[in-house]
Amino acid sequence: MLGLQALSDSLAVLAAEGEGGGVHFPPIDHIVKWPAAFGDGQFWAFNKIGLISLIAMVVPAIFFFLAGNKAKLIPGKLQNVAESAIDFVEQQIVLPAIGPDGMRYLPMLTAMMFFIWVGNMFEVIPTAHMPANARMAGPAMLALLALVMFVGVGLKHNGLHYLKEALFPPGVPVALYIIVTPIEILSTFLIRPFSLAVRLFANMLAGHILLVTFSVLTITLTNTLSPLIVAAALSFPMLVAFTAFEFMVAFLQAFIFALLTAVYIGSALHPSH
Amino acid sequence: MNSISTAVHTISQAFPEGATAAEAKGIAAATNAGLAYGLAAIGPAIGIGYLVGQSVQAMARQPEAAGQVQTTMFLGIAFTEALALIGFVVFILLKFV
Amino acid sequence: MLSLIGILAEEGAKTINPVVPDDVGEIFWSVISFFGLWIILRYVCLPPLLRVREERAAKALADREAASAAETQTEQVRRDYDTTLSEARAQAGRIVEDARATSDARRAEAVRQAEAEVASIKQAEIASIDAARAEALTSIRSDVSELAVSAASVVVGSDLDRAASQATIDSFVDQAATKR
Repeated sequence: MLGLQALSDSLAVLAAEGEGGGVHFPPIDHIVKWPAAFGDGQFWAFNKIGLISLIAMVVPAIFFFLAGNKAKLIPGKLQNVAESAIDFVEQQIVLPAIGPDGMRYLPMLTAMMFFIWVGNMFEVIPTAHMPANARMAGPAMLALLALVMFVGVGLKHNGLHYLKEALFPPGVPVALYIIVTPIEILSTFLIRPFSLAVRLFANMLAGHILLVTFSVLTITLTNTLSPLIVAAALSFPMLVAFTAFEFMVAFLQAFIFALLTAVYIGSALHPSH
Repeated sequence: MNSISTAVHTISQAFPEGATAAEAKGIAAATNAGLAYGLAAIGPAIGIGYLVGQSVQAMARQPEAAGQVQTTMFLGIAFTEALALIGFVVFILLKFV
Repeated sequence: MLSLIGILAEEGAKTINPVVPDDVGEIFWSVISFFGLWIILRYVCLPPLLRVREERAAKALADREAASAAETQTEQVRRDYDTTLSEARAQAGRIVEDARATSDARRAEAVRQAEAEVASIKQAEIASIDAARAEALTSIRSDVSELAVSAASVVVGSDLDRAASQATIDSFVDQAATKR
């Protein structure tokens, strides 16, 4: 009974409104929406997401520039790292998804992967703690680019034959095209880019919300000065564990985005399989 | 017994009798959002579990094909996970919009 | 419920929707950044790296080809050496064989000559022996016939027909000659 009494007291502290205490999970505006540093209201409004995007451009560019600037036959340390990154994109993304003729998309896929990865990494970088891709702008733009790319590649290399293969898949009875064609239109031109964007966006937003939740919980529980402080001993390790997990997710989502783009380009390039 | 009723009372204090429309909306949104995400997570959870289990089996049987199996596994996870993530987006839409 | 939806629709306009890309600035800077990165990587950063990778691959290929060429050459030299060696060996064998054949032929020739000589000598000896024996037989036959006839005529006391008894004596002598 004493325990329950203590619990109810603590819950009262947590549930209390106002200044005295309570868990204040911030509304979603506060954790994803950032005020503009300049150009507010204009189309060049520059906020934290814009800054992170610029950093996500500059960091890989500088990295590859320094590595490739004095590229030698016998690579130095930095060149070695850069070349293994290119090897990774080639061996894990381009060759399995497109094939040897996909090497001309290597720069785009490399740029895509590194842009997303660096943007995601700001989720776990202290003092930043905001994945650029937890806002829909970046993922939507990249998914639209992927759509334009694979449709363009299909039309360029296979002409109208690509549209015919995509809309009227061979080996289907003619009568079934009434059902199949709308599904194909929906799945190829709508669901593909939509799921690409949503996959990246929702993963990063979910991770961000998860980290915010456990941070808020840890801070509140340590500040309550009630017996519930022992629960902070659970929520803080969870925060650390999820931070480590988000390191992995940040890379995995960048990899999957580039891989799926490559798969779509590959299917447009070789529509028979 | 007294303590339990006190606790219940304390929790219910957060939602007093004369709840305004905004609060009612908040309650409904939270409930529906939780329900939507919970339901959306069931299928993908089973799917990803099955997928990864089969992939591990394949990798154990043919360790030399592990790289290829892994890439395909990530692709499959990405496609399966999309459903759960759409559920999450619905959750966000219900809860915060 | 309907009133709730009405409230949602009413308040939805005010709060932000996190799923829709509503901030144009973010889209603008994302586009600038991504296409900037793409162009930089495509035209500035990646070409030297890719070129170096290709050069290295080409060099590795060339080195491997050179190694395989050297190996082929080594193999060729060894095969030549082996051929020469086996040829020399065959020649030596042939010389030995020739020498052996020559010496064999010579020996056979010598043996044949010696044998022929021996045979002719033997022939001559046999011929002379035969002649001597025939002579001896002839003389013996005449002697014996003479002796026998004279002995018989002594016994009988009258001259016997020499020609008639001659056949009997001859058969005796021939018998004795074959009995020898």
